[in-house]
Amino acid sequence: MKRVWLGIMLVLFGLGLAYAQSSLTIYSGRSQALVEPLVKAFQNESGIKVQVRYGRDAELLAALQEEGKRSPADLFWGNTSGALGQAAEYGLLLKLGSSLLSKPVGFVPASGTWTPLSVRFRVLAYRLDKVKTADLPDSVLDLPKLSQFKGRIGWTPSYSSFQDFISAMRLMYGEAKTKEWLLAMKALEPKAYTSNPSMIEAIRAGEIDVALTNHYYVLRFVKVGYPVGSHYFASGDVGSLALVTGAGILKTSKHITEATRFLLWLLSPKAQQFFPGEVFEYPVIKGAVLPPTLKPLEEALARSPKLDFEKLDLEGTLKLLREVGLL
Amino acid sequence: MVYRIANRKAPAALVATALGVGSLVLAPLAYLLLRALQAEPAQLGSILFRAQNLELFLNTLWLVAGVVVFTTLLALPLAWLTTRSNLRGKRLFTLLFALPVVVPGYVGAYALLASTGPGGLLEALTQVAWPRPSGYWGSLFALTLFTYPYLFLNLRTAFLGLDPSLEESARSLGVGGLEAFGKVVLPQLRPALYAGWLLVGLHALGDFGVVSLMRYPTFSYAVYLQYSASFDRIYAAWLALMLLSFTVGLLYLESRFLRGLSLSRVARGASRKQALIPLGAWRPWAYLFAAVVVMLSLVGPVLSILFWTRQFPFDSSFALLEGLYNSARASLPAALLATLLALPVAYLGVRYPGPFSRMVERTAYLGFATPPLAFALALIFFSLRGVPALYQTLALLVLAYALHFLAEAIGPVRAALYQTPPKLEEAARSLGSGALEAFLRASFPLIRRGVLASVALVFLSCLKELPLTFLLSPVGYNTLATRVWGYTSEAMFAEAAPFALLIVLLSGLFMGMLLAQDKS
Repeated sequence: MKRVWLGIMLVLFGLGLAYAQSSLTIYSGRSQALVEPLVKAFQNESGIKVQVRYGRDAELLAALQEEGKRSPADLFWGNTSGALGQAAEYGLLLKLGSSLLSKPVGFVPASGTWTPLSVRFRVLAYRLDKVKTADLPDSVLDLPKLSQFKGRIGWTPSYSSFQDFISAMRLMYGEAKTKEWLLAMKALEPKAYTSNPSMIEAIRAGEIDVALTNHYYVLRFVKVGYPVGSHYFASGDVGSLALVTGAGILKTSKHITEATRFLLWLLSPKAQQFFPGEVFEYPVIKGAVLPPTLKPLEEALARSPKLDFEKLDLEGTLKLLREVGLL
Repeated sequence: MVYRIANRKAPAALVATALGVGSLVLAPLAYLLLRALQAEPAQLGSILFRAQNLELFLNTLWLVAGVVVFTTLLALPLAWLTTRSNLRGKRLFTLLFALPVVVPGYVGAYALLASTGPGGLLEALTQVAWPRPSGYWGSLFALTLFTYPYLFLNLRTAFLGLDPSLEESARSLGVGGLEAFGKVVLPQLRPALYAGWLLVGLHALGDFGVVSLMRYPTFSYAVYLQYSASFDRIYAAWLALMLLSFTVGLLYLESRFLRGLSLSRVARGASRKQALIPLGAWRPWAYLFAAVVVMLSLVGPVLSILFWTRQFPFDSSFALLEGLYNSARASLPAALLATLLALPVAYLGVRYPGPFSRMVERTAYLGFATPPLAFALALIFFSLRGVPALYQTLALLVLAYALHFLAEAIGPVRAALYQTPPKLEEAARSLGSGALEAFLRASFPLIRRGVLASVALVFLSCLKELPLTFLLSPVGYNTLATRVWGYTSEAMFAEAAPFALLIVLLSGLFMGMLLAQDKS
């Protein structure tokens, strides 16, 4: 019995080792559905084998820290600029070359340690038959004034994009005003969700009427006939914040050439077309064809307030959210 | 019939084995302490003395208590019906009652939310919008539906191993049926009840998927939020330790109840088959009860998943086979390994009760209650420092599964051991067998049912596991569960549906096979 077990374990062990050997290893905080098609296309074109470990940004960052110098990862593909900024701050990322960083039309971080790959925007989702757009404010800062929505507003304080949005508000308006806004919102008794899809489901089911979310979630549900619309706040308003996803090369990488090649490929027109085409995200280079539900790229980019995305301070935001009892 | 066994000295090899298993499970705890001790005192104060902690604590307590009560209300009658009554189609029903455990909480709760309210699946089917579950009752409802099988499987094993002569003696002395159940049968079910309650309680305690979707803040919900948001391993370690102290409380309660039980048969001769109790006029009600449970816990979620495929057009080709293969080749060895590791621990606990054996057994439950994310980080930490070659191999994932789910394997094995008389082994020893041989030849055949239940429970848990899989599997290793999570979190339900269905199907087949074997 024991010998059989030993045998089984050895075989499995061997299989595991065989798996661990590959030429490019990505740690992706973005989910498989959004990454795999691109990885496959790159593999076919370049002949370079790519392995991906999926997880959430925070989990992967924690794993990278535990692994330290022994990490097998070559690239970190983050779902938020907050996580990428954190990775840069921990000193995990290499500085990228200018040939790479000159490609995106914007959002390149000052540290030059990661490149933006796609952009999403914050919007206010609302129920079509219950809410008139005329009643919705131009600025997210005026949202607490809508007392008619008391108890019928949804938000996601634990979700990274929401936290980036609060970080931006702190950067633009300061700590005191942000806290005031959060408390005024709290007075309207908003419902807190941990996932955006379940929040949009709640709009459909009549649990809430409006919700602070990311633009693509609304579009994915609109596609299948949900009675939900997106309200865009005015240009430059913090409620229209751009959310940048991106990737950087890890200092532990032993395949820097292949990793650079992969990033360059991700910034090519062909790869960039994937973002608007399949998942309703905005590309970061010009020339991609956008579906009618998306706004023209220049208009969308102009919508977001201008700020240095690396200055979004996540830790201070988490502290504030804990202070007002939202986390 | 409950009586005590005198304390005897356990063989050294057994003690060493059990100790080895225990210390493996404890490794993550050591890691948590290591990280926790890196905290600064000021930071620590703000973690430990938050005003919300009390509210979270009470919420958690209510939820655990509620889930224990309601799962018992489902599992006890269902286990009785499928073992002791003359209900028809018992094997099918057993399978159906065991299956909801395969519905991952995050899928089941989402299915409940997506099918209720205006515009939901249930409205499309019945023309009436069904109320949406949420908060305490929503969490209680969903957790009860998806965890009661743990208790059911434990109780079923216990019912099947009951010695009918005890109940018959009671009846022959003029005790009524219901009274005999309360006075004779129920006390014999206690080890199974406690083990099942503990599992169900720990599930409720550690659940994040259901309570977060139902928006009911419990302790582990808060732990998870901090963990996933803060990128901070020290802070997370403290919160995990706080959650573990809650577990220690539960374990203490269970050990108080279980102390010094012995429920084995003492009569000579083989145990007889139990006579079935006719349901009579109750039969239609029994079927109705069974049907309602199956509808809510199994048919509902599966229909909901099917509805996704219809509602959301699917356009991508999916790697079903790859996911199936990966899920099976990690979960199956893990289930066998966990059961193998559980045997010495459970054996020590049952045959040589005492503070030491109790402690070793409790350790397994601590491993189960350690937040999986912390468990995974600990294994990364230790494997990279100890055996770097093991890191990111399937072997490490299998080991992680087995250690984390060890507690699930202990329950059924332990319940079965309680019902196996030590005399048989003693007889084998007196005939010249060694300790191990005596166990394998005299006791093992009698606890086979328990062993199978253990393998099944761990296998099913591994199939839907996420955090350990994400962090410890070989890079590029996709299981059915990671696919489901990856798609649902992006609102791509049509793509997620086939993988979710396959989890249910695979588990169903596995359970069916086990239960078919179980018959003989």
